[in-house]
Order: sequence, then C-alpha cells, then structure tokens
Amino acid sequence: MIILSNIEKVYQTKTIETVALQQVNLAVPKGEFLSIMGPSGCGKSTLLNIMGLLDEPSSGTVSIGGQEIRSYKDKELAHIRNEKIGFVFQSYHLVNDLSVLDNVELPLLYRSGVSASERSKRAKIALEKVGLSARTKHFPNQLSGGQRQRVAIARALIGQPEIILADEPTGNLDSVMGEEIMNILLDLNRHDGTTIVMVTHDENMAKKTERLIRFFDGQQVSDAKVYANLQQV
Amino acid sequence: MIRHLFKLIWNRKKSNFLLITEIFFSFMVLFAVLSFVVHNVRNYTKPLGFTHDNVWLLSMRPSSDSAALNRQNLEQVLQRLKSYPEVANISLTSNNAPFSFSITSNAMTYGQVKDVQADYYEVQDDFQELMQVPLKVGRWFGPQDDASNHEPIVINQQLQEKLFGNEPAIGKLIPITDSSSYQVIGITEYFRGAGEFASDAPAMLTRINFAKRQDKFWESLLIKVKPGIGVAFEERMVKDISGITGDWNLEVSMLEKMRKAKAKVTLVPMLGLGFVCAFLILNVALGLFGVLWYNISRRNSEIGLRRALGAAASQVYWQFIGEVLVLATFGLLLGVFFAAQFPLLEVFQVDTEVYLIALFSAVFLIYLLTAACAFYPSRQAAAVQPAVALHEE
Ligand SMILES: Nc1ncnc2c1ncn2[C@@H]1O[C@H](COP(=O)(O)OP(=O)(O)OP(=O)(O)O)[C@@H](O)[C@H]1O
Ligand SMILES: [Mg+2]
Repeated sequence: MIILSNIEKVYQTKTIETVALQQVNLAVPKGEFLSIMGPSGCGKSTLLNIMGLLDEPSSGTVSIGGQEIRSYKDKELAHIRNEKIGFVFQSYHLVNDLSVLDNVELPLLYRSGVSASERSKRAKIALEKVGLSARTKHFPNQLSGGQRQRVAIARALIGQPEIILADEPTGNLDSVMGEEIMNILLDLNRHDGTTIVMVTHDENMAKKTERLIRFFDGQQVSDAKVYANLQQV
Repeated sequence: MIRHLFKLIWNRKKSNFLLITEIFFSFMVLFAVLSFVVHNVRNYTKPLGFTHDNVWLLSMRPSSDSAALNRQNLEQVLQRLKSYPEVANISLTSNNAPFSFSITSNAMTYGQVKDVQADYYEVQDDFQELMQVPLKVGRWFGPQDDASNHEPIVINQQLQEKLFGNEPAIGKLIPITDSSSYQVIGITEYFRGAGEFASDAPAMLTRINFAKRQDKFWESLLIKVKPGIGVAFEERMVKDISGITGDWNLEVSMLEKMRKAKAKVTLVPMLGLGFVCAFLILNVALGLFGVLWYNISRRNSEIGLRRALGAAASQVYWQFIGEVLVLATFGLLLGVFFAAQFPLLEVFQVDTEVYLIALFSAVFLIYLLTAACAFYPSRQAAAVQPAVALHEE
C-alpha cells in the first residue's frame, strides 16, 4: 500500500522554479496494478521517484506499506528501497560492465545476509521467470532492447519486493516486445500479488491494468477503474 | 562485495590497464628514490668514527724528481710544524685523507674468507689523538710496534665481522705476502673516511713507520691546530713551509670545508631526485585524480542505479574507494615483484633492510596517494541524488 498525501514538488534552479507536482493525493492499495498517463513533462517520473524514495517531496508525506516516511535519512531510505521496492526504468539502466547474472544480483548485494551462492541461485530463478535463462553470461550490449528490459525486470523482482515501479518500461520497444514485457508484469501482479505502478504513453498497455490515472501539469485529472478491459486479457 | 569489485575491475580491464600501469611506474620511481634516500640517510646517521674539529689537510706536491731531496724537505716540514705552539698534532696520511675524493682499497684474505675489499688508510701514531678515533677493543699504534715482526693494523667492526665472524680478532695474523703479514691490534666500531654519506664498509688503518721507510714520501699531512687558530696562522705557516720547500705546490684545506664539499656530491643529486620525484608524484596524483573524476562522472547513472537498488551513499562511497585501492593493489603487486629483484639479485651494494624500508614506504605512500585522489571524487559520487543521477543518461 502506497499513500501519497498533499505531495508537492518544486524544482528550484537559479533562474526558474518548476512546479512538477502539486496537491497530489493518491492511494495505491496492495496488489493493485496502476497505470499513469499524461503528456510529457507533466511530472509522471517525478511522482514515481517520490514513491520510490529516490527523491524527496517539497511538501507532503509518503507512506509505504503502512510506514510513513518521516525522516529522509539515507541509510533508512536505502533499506526500504532495497527491501520493498523494485524499479524498472525506461532506459533499462543496466551496468554495462557486469554480466546479465551480476546485474540481476545487484539488489541482493546490498541486502545483508545473502550469500554469493544464494544470490546467483535467485538470479537464475528470476531470469527464468523472464525467459532469459540462456543469457546469464552475456553482457548488456550483447542483448536486444526487449532482452535488456527483461533483465531489468528480473533485477526488479529478484528481491521479491512488494512494489514494482516501472517508468515507461515498454517505451523503447516495439509492440511485440512491449506486449511481452507487459505480460511479465501482469503475471507478477496476478500470481505474486505485487503492487505495480507503471507510467506509460501507450493507451493499449494502460487498458490492461486495473486502474488508470491521468496527469496534466503536475496535477491528477482523472482516476478510472478499467476492470472492463481487464476481462478481455 | 570484494568479489563484486574484482568483477567490475576485471570487466573494465581495458580502461583500468592505464591506471594500473601508471600506479606501477610511480611505485617503481618512488621505490628507487626512497631506496637512494633511505640508504643515504641511514649512512648519515651512523658515526664517522672520528672527529675533525680544527683539523686541516696540507697537500704537498713536490716539484723536484729527487726523492732524497723531497724526503729531506718533508722531514724539515714536519720538524717545523711540530715547533709551532699553535699546532696540537700532526699526522701524515695516505692520499685518501678523511673527506677527500680519493679511495684506496685493499683485498684481504683470511683462511677461507677470500678477497674482502677494505678501505685502506695509512696513518701515523698521532692520528688517533688528532682525529679522536675511539677503539672498542685492543690498542692504537705506538713505538712498541717498531720492533714488531708483523705490520700492525687497526680494523673496523665491518672488516672484523667479514674476516673473522664472531671470533675475537685481536692478535690475528692476515697474510700480506708469503713472508709478511698484518696483525690486528685494535678494533674501532666505525671508520668511514669517505664521509657522512659513505656506507659503513670494511676499513683498515695501517701504521706509517716514518723513520724506517726512508724511501717513502707522503703528500698528505693532517694538522690539528689549537682552538681559535685561523687564517692568519695558515698564511704564516704556508709561507714558512714554502721557505723550506721552495716551489712545491702547497695547499691547505680545512676538513670541515672538505666535509661540506663531499656531502654536496650526495646531497645535490638527492635533492634533485627528490624534486623530480615530487614533481612526478604530483603529476601522477593529478592524472589519477582526473581519471577517477572522469570515471566517476561517467558512471553517474550507475551510481543512481545502485542507490535506487538499495545502496546507501556510504556504500557507494566505499565502493569507489575500494575499486581504486584494488586497482592500486594490482599495480603494486607488479611493482613489488620487480622491486624485490633488487635485494634478491643484490644489484647494488645496499642493505636488504634499506630496500625493505623503501618498499614498505613506497607501498604505503602509493596507497595513501590513491586513496587521497579517490576521496573527493568518491564523495561527490556518493552525494549525487539518485533521482538526478538516473536522470542523466
Ligand atoms: N532535476 C530537475 N531539475 C529541474 N526541473 C526538473 C528536474 N526534473 C524534472 N524537472 C521538471 O519537472 C517537470 C516534470 O518532469 P518529469 O520528468 O516528471 O516529467 P514526465 O512526466 O516524466 O515527462 P516524460 O513523459 O517526458 O518522461 C518537467 O517540467 C521537468 O522539466
Ligand atoms: Mg518521465
């Protein structure tokens, strides 16, 4: 469960002040698959960063899994990110100098008490889930865009987080690959009960999720349940 | 985590290669310069084995070929010098007087120990009092040696250890020819006539038996004057001696001045090398800093990613420091391998201990340097807000 209340985010640079988010109130129940849409620059990534504790709101509060984030102490945030949240980025963000397996292991590297053999075992399982068992020793630049995004998803799910935050996970992919990624996310949501918040520009992808929120200029303009569409999938 | 670092470094081996090479070369230069400096500083801190206050060296170059005449003049010069109330002591010496630029050495063989090279000094009985040579064991030369069948010698501890090991040396005979030999009568702990930066090498002093060796001539004469005696006396003395010797070439130098001149021969290159080394290290540091800075800024999104995946800022910080230290370790391992060849193959006549001190100091300094260079870029890396770092791609 994610609750955002009265979130405001203002980017302050020397000359200009950009209001990226204002008065955002949003609750994402546990197990929900939520998609967020809106024109470029309306604050979707900013919102996701705040949910994922990568960025601090200018005002308002965030609570994750019933725990309100009161202090933005680095170590505590790092711990929550590591245990509870998995990220999928539009541009994959894989470490080019690490093999697929090592990339997937990364979140467990920062979790205490996970042995090296345990890490690699779980990474292999995660890669199996995304259908990439045959590519563990490859390096990111030897993979296609869709494969890279699947590695990124494997990395997001290896730590078995309650929440996955995906920022345009299919943005760089063609429709077939996008479909593939979407199916993996849907599967995670249905079978593992993972809460997923996904930013997308693609109406078709958004329609497959339970709930769709639209943003405009840093403000939420609509919130709709899309159960009807869900049945078709 | 260490394994993770090794993997990262291994996978980035191409770009790390340059850094490792740079660290390797700086280590080698630092090691060489430190060996040189440590060697000299260690020598400097050892006693000379004599003092030279108020001691002058008179060098005499006779113009005549007549040995008999020269000898006669020399005897008169000695007489004259002894008569001055200003002069405390005099002693003829071989040309390698303390702090002079000449070296004489002699190969000594005793039993199984063959050809030990020892610095060889000829001195008169008054030399000990003149230069205040402390003896550890035995006695100094004296008139009683006139009657000796052997040639008496005083040796330093180095020579004693080389020739006799732990055995007592006093009274031991060392063959010179089939019919003659040296006899050890005294041992001094140190005797480093070649000056403050000279190694504590084996050395021996032999006795000049002036009366007996009528055929011989010595060009160097050490004169100890009483405290406070200066240039005025020097001028008068040289004038008087010229009166005896005619057109001999005479030269007086104070041992203190000679000491300084001799020290300069080592100090100047040491300072020069020190400067070159400091400049080089500064360059390496700047280069290293630049490379690290560049690497880290290039890896901004990786930093953001690691933070997003749950790395605390301090973990990112230590990861970068750790990476640099692992890199330094590779360069150093290579360097230590090569540096170790110097003591192992005994390339120069330098104590192994000197190399060890230089080696450990160089390793320590390189680690310090790399850590210092990594410190600021790593801190910058850790301070990057994850959202901002991820934003840059
Ligand atoms: N670090 C920053 N400094 C200043 N302004 C920023 C920063 N990050 C984002 N902004 C501004 O905040 C606003 C929202 O940005 P955001 O990245 O959240 O948009 P978005 O909805 O994700 O757009 P897109 O669909 O193109 O990804 C934009 O006007 C952007 O210029
Ligand atoms: Mg965005």
